Amino acid sequence: MARVILTGSLRDLAQTKDTGPIEIDAADVRELLRKLEDRLPGIAKRVEDGLSIAIDGDIVADPLLEPIGADSEIHFLPSIQGGS
Amino acid sequence: MATAEVDQQKKFKWIGTRPVRPDGLDKVRGRANYGADHALPGMIWGKVLRSPHAHARIVSIDTSKAEAMEGVHAVITAADLPEILSEESKIGEGPTNFRDLSHNVIAREKALYHGHAVAAVAATTSAIAQQALEAIQVEYEVLPHVLEGDDAQAPDAPILHDDLFTKGVEPRPTRPSNVASRTEMGRGDAEAGLAKADHVITRSFRTKAVHQGYIEPHAVVATLGEDGRATVWASSQGHFMIRAYCAKLLGMDQSQIKVIPAEIGGGFGGKTTVYLEPLAIALSGKAGRPVKMVMSREEVFRATGPASATRIELRMGCTKDGKLTGAHARLEYEAGAFPGSPVGAAVMTLFAPYDIDGCLAEGYDIVVNKCKVAAYRAPGAPMAAYAVETVVDELAEKCGIDPIEFRLQNASREGTQSAFGPKFKRIGNIETLEAAKAHPHYSAPLGPNQGRGVASGFWFNGGMQSSATVQVADDGTICVVSGNPDIGGSRASLAMMAAEEFGIDVKLVDPQIADTSVVGFSDLTGGSRVTFATGMAVVDACRDVIRQLRERAASIWGIEVDAVKWSDGAARATNGDAGLEPLSLRDIALKAARTGGPISGRASLTARGVGMAFAVHICDVEVDPETGKVDVVRYTTVQDAGRAIHPSYVEGQMQGGAAQGIGWALNEEYIYDADGKMENPGFLDYRMPVASDLPMIDTVIVEVPNPTHPYGVRGVGEVPIVPPIPAVVNAVHAATGVRITELPLSPPRVLAAMDARRN
Amino acid sequence: MNGSGYEAPRTVEETVTLLQQANGAARVLAGGTDLLAQMKMGMTSPALLIDVKKIPELASIEQTADGGFRIGAAVCGAALAEHAALVAAWPGIVEAARLIGSEQIQGRASLGGNLCNGSPAADSVPALIAAGATCTIAGPGGTRSVAVEDVITAPGKTCLATGELVVDFRLPPRPDGSDARAAKAGDAYLRMIPRSEMDIAIVGAGVSLTLDEAGVCTAARVGLGAVAATPLRVDAAAAALIGTTLDDAALAAAGEAASAAARPIDDKRGTIAYRKQVAGVLTRRAAKIALARAGGNG
Repeated sequence: MARVILTGSLRDLAQTKDTGPIEIDAADVRELLRKLEDRLPGIAKRVEDGLSIAIDGDIVADPLLEPIGADSEIHFLPSIQGGS
Repeated sequence: MATAEVDQQKKFKWIGTRPVRPDGLDKVRGRANYGADHALPGMIWGKVLRSPHAHARIVSIDTSKAEAMEGVHAVITAADLPEILSEESKIGEGPTNFRDLSHNVIAREKALYHGHAVAAVAATTSAIAQQALEAIQVEYEVLPHVLEGDDAQAPDAPILHDDLFTKGVEPRPTRPSNVASRTEMGRGDAEAGLAKADHVITRSFRTKAVHQGYIEPHAVVATLGEDGRATVWASSQGHFMIRAYCAKLLGMDQSQIKVIPAEIGGGFGGKTTVYLEPLAIALSGKAGRPVKMVMSREEVFRATGPASATRIELRMGCTKDGKLTGAHARLEYEAGAFPGSPVGAAVMTLFAPYDIDGCLAEGYDIVVNKCKVAAYRAPGAPMAAYAVETVVDELAEKCGIDPIEFRLQNASREGTQSAFGPKFKRIGNIETLEAAKAHPHYSAPLGPNQGRGVASGFWFNGGMQSSATVQVADDGTICVVSGNPDIGGSRASLAMMAAEEFGIDVKLVDPQIADTSVVGFSDLTGGSRVTFATGMAVVDACRDVIRQLRERAASIWGIEVDAVKWSDGAARATNGDAGLEPLSLRDIALKAARTGGPISGRASLTARGVGMAFAVHICDVEVDPETGKVDVVRYTTVQDAGRAIHPSYVEGQMQGGAAQGIGWALNEEYIYDADGKMENPGFLDYRMPVASDLPMIDTVIVEVPNPTHPYGVRGVGEVPIVPPIPAVVNAVHAATGVRITELPLSPPRVLAAMDARRN
Repeated sequence: MNGSGYEAPRTVEETVTLLQQANGAARVLAGGTDLLAQMKMGMTSPALLIDVKKIPELASIEQTADGGFRIGAAVCGAALAEHAALVAAWPGIVEAARLIGSEQIQGRASLGGNLCNGSPAADSVPALIAAGATCTIAGPGGTRSVAVEDVITAPGKTCLATGELVVDFRLPPRPDGSDARAAKAGDAYLRMIPRSEMDIAIVGAGVSLTLDEAGVCTAARVGLGAVAATPLRVDAAAAALIGTTLDDAALAAAGEAASAAARPIDDKRGTIAYRKQVAGVLTRRAAKIALARAGGNG
């Protein structure tokens, strides 16, 4: 089971301040989002509006087909602007 | 797309060497073609009329007098561009709302800052265009304006956008606000962490807007023909970005627009959006002639995107033996006239170097009647680092612990749950701190009125989409084609990675940047991503070519492709086919026509496995006790580059970031009068450092390879601007005993602080 | 920049005639480092530019019979620095002129232009005031001699009437050993800028000193820049130095007098309080350098 950890502004989706990890069985991000939408209504829209997803520490901007491992840890993050 | 890894311990032939840069000769001989260098037959000149008010309703615009002038070919206002609905874009860097972008390019109902474009003309000469601007009559209804983030939040503040409601707060507001959004990020319980602390420092910081200060002003030449097809020559950080934005803003298909990149004279994030390009296309369409537009330096200051002015309130605490326990930050970032400051990145980066039990950062994005901010090198991070790194310095002092030792005790490392969520993968935080501590600079003696400061910095770096093609000429030379403007040496590093892959001399590789019709889509040059991500695309495309080369060799030899390996620039038969002489790249290229035709490879990818970057800077200053003037007398940058492909470029990035950060710390600031007009829109009074202001900036490249990049690359361009502000401020404290919480550290401010302490 | 007429006369008389004929619509062009920049910014658009660099008196430096110097108004900073006798006698004036602009600007920018631009922050002016320099002004009615401190009357304004131009600067002689009361002399100029170069003074201070054989100051002049609407001559600061050996108390008094004389404004470059305070600091420091150059006991 992958573990989804909500931090920061995403915690309001869960309607509570101290959410533990949410355990979800999903092969890729698309499946994860579909299953997560039932538990956290509105999450898919937030991702669509510009959230990045970190899978085991790798931040991925556009990740629908990204595979998720059995023990993966998933975080949602705001998109980051870059300069250089 | 998976990129095969290379042995990280392998000895390289080209990676890590310093060949002559491919763009160097043209640049030093003045032959490089920058944005303003392009010209076309029949070309005319475009100029922009700008608002003299910080906030005003545009009642009417009468262009008839200007249109009647001899030599004037076109006059446009917002009415000549399609009205764009509110829609979030994901094309550029971070979210952009297309309606806001359209309104920033040319004001529609309201002018929202002094310098906001309200009309544009094209005429046979620049002087006629200037006279035509003066003939345009705009009737304004001047509105009350608000210039500071604090004032913008007042209950009676003038509201910039009637339809802007603060996002991210519950319940959803019912009244419009200048606070565009609230975001937060953290882990654990910040207040509980602070309650456990023996020492808690509470400080409030202010920073002013600063400009990237790229040498080359924005410039464009555009044609729009009767067939509806446009060609644009422009200097930018991403010609695909220009194509997409212009198509959207002008209601065109992307296939109708070709954008040809010019050599770029600096960007630093400031050329990640459009200003002139849509206007030039629209003017050209109306005039039936190519139109050239070049901003003056004054326009660059008044109407392009500086970095946010900020106010940060920070509380941090640690135990008496120096363990950070809790931190809370409130960050208010001015976005300028439209939402979209980089406060989100600030909220995510500020505590990243540390492993803190409980931390929380709240970010507020605030609109004011000033030009819309743009990305500037690690957007949002330097101001946040100013707050955190000076408070960390103060906590270390309270504990009586050496500031680098204090940072080492609290440093995030591989496996640490980051303050922004995920666990860190392999990072070089500890390694950079240790290298800084061991550097002779850190223990060198100081003179009178001198002090030493250190600070850490963190930046995520970017991945995003890149494309590359690799073509083999029949003489065995290679052309590497990518779609990213080269602002930091990417042509050199892409050529070197290709040479390494093929095992040939780097002189045989020609790196080219192609226009939007030639190479696959590539996200813009930003986020320190090109050597990393486009480098991966080049490596993949090279491997595609090498696979074909092995196939060709196999067919020439009449053996199985599995029995052919590629090494040191040649196909070699394995399995004891001893009689077969190796076939070089040139040998195979010569026979390409008879073995299946031209050989080329391509790759398009979304880069995964971005390597995050850490840096530590050491700064010595000397402060004149009677004038408050701060001189940086010695400066060392230490940074984890993953692996430096071309170390000279990496060092150049480290030095350039330090120089810009020192300027930000000491003298740079947007100064506004009460009417919202910038008072210092030129390099005389907008004081960037000149060469004689800075010492040699020493560099130490630490290499903790990024395990997911074929050559271990981490982005290097942005993190070097994160530590300089706090490094300078901490050094000034060490020299004078004063902690200054407002930038810049101009002589009057420093002297006043020293006098206050002396009295 | 719209089209302006251009003339390059060879004599002062011709120049005066041209200026008179233009009746205020002409501008004198020496190095052009202020004028051309102002024209590009649209701040001025003169109908006629009169280039004075081809007039021999304006383009030369001479040592005068009394041991002083005559410096043509259009001589550039780089040429001042190449004149060994001038550098030896008036190092403060040369260092002030050398602070103007970049190395490229130094090949053009002149003392005459720096003065006639009328900026309160002009670097060479406080040093010239401290030196007791006068300038020769030629006009329709002949020539007149005016003390440098009397030329600038307000920001951007000078005492020059229509048809007049500055021809040269006259510097008094320095001690030649014949007068025991004026045995040694030295001058110095310092300015405060936030950067190390390429900037405009927030405060400028010029000091010139004459010492007797015993090292007692017998004459002093102090000029300040960027602390009032015009560059200032500060007699009170000079008086604090005269009769002393420039001991710490005398230097402090001179500094206080300079601070008191400063009447600055708050602007984007600095504050009133800062400028007043630093005027004193720089006066003290410039006096010490001038003392060292005079071979005093500093």
